[in-house]
Amino acid sequence: MKEKGQLGKTPILDALTVLALLAAALAALFPVLWGLSTSLKSDGEVTSFPPHIFPSHMNLDNYVSVFTQSDFMIYMRNSIFITVVGVILATLIAAHAAYALTFFELKINKILSFFILMTSMVPPVALLVPLYMMGVKLHLYNTRIMILLVYIAWRTPVLTWIMQGFFSKLPKEILEAGIIDGCSKAKSFYRLILPISQPGIVSAALLSAVYIWNDYLVSSSFITSNELKMLSVGLYQYITQYGIKWGLLMAAVMVSIIPMILLFVCLQSKFVDGMAAGAVKG
Amino acid sequence: MERTRVRRSEFWMGCGFLAPALIIICCFTVIPIITAIYTSFHATNYAVVGEYVGLKNYISVLGKSVGWLNILNSIEYVGLSLLLAVPLGVGIGSLLNRKIRGIAALRTLIIIPWILSQTVTALLWKWLLNGNYGLVTYWVYELTGSKIDLFSNVWTAKFLVVVANVWNSLPIIIILTIAALQTISPELIEAAKVDGAGRGKIYKSIVLPLIRPTIGTAIVMQSIEYFNMVTLLYVLTSGGPFNQTQTLSLAAYQNGFDYWHMDVAAAYSIVIFLLNIVFSLFYVRILKGNDN
Repeated sequence: MKEKGQLGKTPILDALTVLALLAAALAALFPVLWGLSTSLKSDGEVTSFPPHIFPSHMNLDNYVSVFTQSDFMIYMRNSIFITVVGVILATLIAAHAAYALTFFELKINKILSFFILMTSMVPPVALLVPLYMMGVKLHLYNTRIMILLVYIAWRTPVLTWIMQGFFSKLPKEILEAGIIDGCSKAKSFYRLILPISQPGIVSAALLSAVYIWNDYLVSSSFITSNELKMLSVGLYQYITQYGIKWGLLMAAVMVSIIPMILLFVCLQSKFVDGMAAGAVKG
Repeated sequence: MERTRVRRSEFWMGCGFLAPALIIICCFTVIPIITAIYTSFHATNYAVVGEYVGLKNYISVLGKSVGWLNILNSIEYVGLSLLLAVPLGVGIGSLLNRKIRGIAALRTLIIIPWILSQTVTALLWKWLLNGNYGLVTYWVYELTGSKIDLFSNVWTAKFLVVVANVWNSLPIIIILTIAALQTISPELIEAAKVDGAGRGKIYKSIVLPLIRPTIGTAIVMQSIEYFNMVTLLYVLTSGGPFNQTQTLSLAAYQNGFDYWHMDVAAAYSIVIFLLNIVFSLFYVRILKGNDN
């Protein structure tokens, strides 16, 4: 009710606010909408000057071509596989570590926490070259295992850090109650702590999913075979030495962002929670 | 006796819980950094480390004008991005926090760019600004009467990579601002209103000081993010024109994977790593300050 009261009190200010926000929303969506419009144009219309804002008639040729005449589906499958497996493994590894760091009275906990926090701040770009050299030497270069391990290793510190924040807020009584009921510390982790913290864990995991899905550096540096490429690198097939096929490229871009946009619109609050937790710990 | 046995079994259990994380972090973060330090003092041929060359690789980074250009470009890129993103983000975040019907839908739309990758951001903007068929190019043509490739001009190129970056990363600052604003108790604002303070005054002397720690966190966090950014710049300009948008991070990547100078790239990596340590110490200090 209070909300309505405020709406009534300052109609002009509210209208201005909405107007400014509409402008911001337009600016946020405009490049995407322009890409969408391009993807629906025929080849000739894409390169017309002056450009048409809207396609003169809807044309799905670009989408048909992306799905049937390219390896796009292979890239899509690879991206889904690597993202799902990577996120699940990284989340599990990090949850175990965070649990031990929060609930086990080990003498080195503080140092380990700090160590993990610091490793989360090592920039990926500084690691690419040595990892490439390592990968070539160990024959891991150009394998799924390599990029999976890299993603897991790079997401584990952040995930551990966020989950430590969640776990340390849980009341200690929960764990004690579990121990009285005869659960060992390990058992209470799986039976009590994991289920209770599920919402937080999901939002942290979602952020890592976006990271892996969107990443270009790892998949472009460590993968060369076409069958192993992920989406972000696969988009490059439309950028050839003869020029860029913008209509096809924009259609491919649209298809590649739809899963993430749908996921985001459905689970928005979870994304926002994870983002805030990652930035402002605890 | 019983107690020490519990303690000891707990110790081993703790080790078991921590081991996978520590092993994988050591293999893919700690060891690579150590190899990078080692490599940076040696010559390389493709991915094979050769003879010891002392500081030669560091001299090719910091002893040449290109290295200092990279550093300058990084400072410009980070500074200009923050200058645009922070006021815009805090402003839009503050507006989105007002209670108006339908504002939640606007928030969803405004945050969408954040979900898009740097690759996609770069491709969308590259097309919008395309020198022949881009929509913005057409608008510029309407205004000036000539077709201009905005990426071939040093200053417009520098500015446009920042615009694309701000477009993509603004939502983070917006969300952090909203999160901080929601921790302010409504009673505090009511009390100020009762005391006769106006909207502007309340925002300036109550709200802003209360969200300042969060803004500080966002600034440090985003500085690190922008400083380490490669993909957006690589796809959008590849560092051009004339290396004028090649930041330190982009130079590290290009030296390694475009020019195949792994030794020089390793030296770049170590310089970036050391600068990150400095940033991170700031960050940790700010986080600790926020906790207290």
